[in-house]
Amino acid sequence: MDIVVEFKDIKPVVDTIHPYSNALKNSATPIVIDNGSYNCRVGWATSTRPLLVFKNVLAKPRKERGKKDGEMQIGNDIPNIEAVRGNLKTQFDKNVVTHMEVQEYIFNYTFSHLGIDTNRINHPIVITEAPLNPNFSRSLMSQLLFECFNVPSVAYCVDSLSSYWRFPSKNKTSLLVSIGYYTTHVIPIVDGIVDFKRSRRLDLGGQQITYYLQRLLQLKYPVHFNALNLSRAEELLHEHCSIAVDYRAELTKWADPDYYDTHVKLIQLPFTAPPVPLLTPEQQKGRRRETARKLVEVNARKREEKLAEDEEQLNQLLSIQDLLEEGEDDEYQRSLEEFGLKSADELLKTIATLQAKIERIRQKIANSMAGNPDENVEEPKPKIMKQMQIPRNEEDFNAWLESVRKKREELLERKAARKQRRIDMAKRRTLASVERMRLISQLAADNEKKEDDFGRRDQDWDVYKVINREGDSDSEAETERLMELEEALRAHDPTFMVDNSRTAQATAESHRLHFAVEAIRATEAIFQPQATLGWSQAGLTDMIEWVLKMFPEDVANLLAQDVCLTGGLANLPGLKEKITALVVEMRPFKSKISVRTVPEPSLGAWLGCRDFARNPESSKYFVTRAEYDEYGGDYLKEHSRSNVFNPLPAMVGISSDQQSILSSVDAPAEDIEVDIL
Amino acid sequence: MVKKKSVEGCVEEEPAEVVEESKDPQSKMPPFRNPNYQHQTLIGGKKKTWRSLKQIVAHEKSLPWPPETPLYSNIGGPPALKPPKKYSDISGLEGKYIDPQTKLFYTTSDEFSTIRSLPSDITAGYLSLRGANNPIP
Repeated sequence: MDIVVEFKDIKPVVDTIHPYSNALKNSATPIVIDNGSYNCRVGWATSTRPLLVFKNVLAKPRKERGKKDGEMQIGNDIPNIEAVRGNLKTQFDKNVVTHMEVQEYIFNYTFSHLGIDTNRINHPIVITEAPLNPNFSRSLMSQLLFECFNVPSVAYCVDSLSSYWRFPSKNKTSLLVSIGYYTTHVIPIVDGIVDFKRSRRLDLGGQQITYYLQRLLQLKYPVHFNALNLSRAEELLHEHCSIAVDYRAELTKWADPDYYDTHVKLIQLPFTAPPVPLLTPEQQKGRRRETARKLVEVNARKREEKLAEDEEQLNQLLSIQDLLEEGEDDEYQRSLEEFGLKSADELLKTIATLQAKIERIRQKIANSMAGNPDENVEEPKPKIMKQMQIPRNEEDFNAWLESVRKKREELLERKAARKQRRIDMAKRRTLASVERMRLISQLAADNEKKEDDFGRRDQDWDVYKVINREGDSDSEAETERLMELEEALRAHDPTFMVDNSRTAQATAESHRLHFAVEAIRATEAIFQPQATLGWSQAGLTDMIEWVLKMFPEDVANLLAQDVCLTGGLANLPGLKEKITALVVEMRPFKSKISVRTVPEPSLGAWLGCRDFARNPESSKYFVTRAEYDEYGGDYLKEHSRSNVFNPLPAMVGISSDQQSILSSVDAPAEDIEVDIL
Repeated sequence: MVKKKSVEGCVEEEPAEVVEESKDPQSKMPPFRNPNYQHQTLIGGKKKTWRSLKQIVAHEKSLPWPPETPLYSNIGGPPALKPPKKYSDISGLEGKYIDPQTKLFYTTSDEFSTIRSLPSDITAGYLSLRGANNPIP
């Protein structure tokens, strides 16, 4: 309970450019690419581990007018993936590569980070593809590799099968379960032959689980909406999530508050404490006094300036008066006109008013000099004291304090309620706005019956009072009252300030996530997609059962004896146990069942492909450039780790088939439907 | 081959333009990339979008495959046949009750009062996450 885990927020390390040695340059060593929809892993067939592992995404800054195109960033070059989340591009549509332009940039990145600087790629490529990858997608990939990069030959492997064939079972009969980023596959392998026809795919994987987890936490902590980003959800999934073997039993445990308290994980979101400690009441008073004093000073200065100005004008007017007395009439008239005065009377009048004004200002200055400046500052206080009588004896005082506190609470509550109502009103489909619409329509219906004489009587306008209920806006009087109460509390209630400071200190606490049921709830989505995400497909368990039922009993028995888990999420704690329990449940009594996880499930695909590339026997499974030109882009040489090759059905002739593939690209995109997650 | 011809044809038609276009980003273009290669979507001047998986699969399905050919579209998982279990939207525990007002699932009376105090965007968020948000009639 006391352990608080912090987010690591690991920043990616920028990939170095690996040396392209002469030995490599002259050897035609195959390049092995596990083109996964989450991570891309790349290395030479001679490497023990992939040299590059990066997120298979590209961040392209949006084009802005008048600005040069920003730098494109790929994989580990992206310093903060959350900052560019909106501009991320991927070549994948689910688990299939469809966007070849992005794929080209990824290949550019890959090959240049392998250090290749020749004018073509002189190495065979081993690359993974989705199970039953559509021919169209493969033809695009082959076209890109052969025509854009001039590779000599290409071999395609299926990721999960590559992973499996590193550690096949003795009788080569297994039920392969692969949990990927976008999809989860169940692939039966019987006597070493992959039965694609009876394979099944669930369109749900790590990506949806991460999204589900993120949304759950965002809804639980709406305050931290932005802090709970996908990367953090991913971290939570990898570090703290597990799979409940018996989900219902686990839930019953969590329902017990004691169990919750001892098992909940506290996860700290990053937060910065307020830098300046809150001012004590004394300091606040001092600061207020200071500002008041400054204000007084400014006022005094203004007054003095005004006084000087007025005196100047008075002097001028007096000098005109002197002119008259000295008998210089011409001069006198001209001066009068200059000042915009019409007659001698007016001049006298102006002089009199000015003198009075100057006198008044002088008086004021004298007053403010003599008077205690503090008196000016404390004006609002006595007003409050007048309104609230403070009882002398302690008991009454406490009761009074309590009542003030209560009043304040009430006011605050009313304010909050009104705010909520305003928010609700602003949105459609909320109860408040629906109720309002109902009232309005009712009123409209009433009016229709009679003649329209609305507004003739004063009470007609009361309608608006009904619609608006008691005012939606905070009244000024109420705000004032609240301020008064708070002022009184501040002055007399020693705990009032303490209360405030406590909320300030609690920020660390309030940035803490309670990670409890979510740890098993998010991962349960693979098994119950309908109950959790409203998915229409059945969960993984039902899918395994479905696949097993397609086989005769004896084969199904053999399959159940080796259920093999692979894919990025296969290492989730509890997955193996859960699948064991579920398969035991669905198989006949006393069946032999065994479930295993492939070693290094997330790296398995790359390692399997590498083994394939190292094997000299494999060379016959590579499609060469000549064969590509001859048989077309979708051509595939089948091997144990590959897909089946479904040659395009003959329509008129081979050439027209090719044409149909090409022309279909040019065809206007019809029925574009956007998949909403 | 028809295909090869068409690709070459494109390159021959507008070689000058291709060179001009690629000149600018040539500095960024790695040496191993074929400078004359153009994506299908760029051929013919007007930029086209890449086909989505949905379109690819639909096209693949429309072809006259021999029966029993394993295709991407044929291995979609089975639909859910059992009725889904109910879990409380806010706590994740088994949801025994439904709030008639918000339609959220809940387990205890405490949760009920929490649900009732939730702002509407949160309740709507829970519903849409579960795929159960039908608009008000």
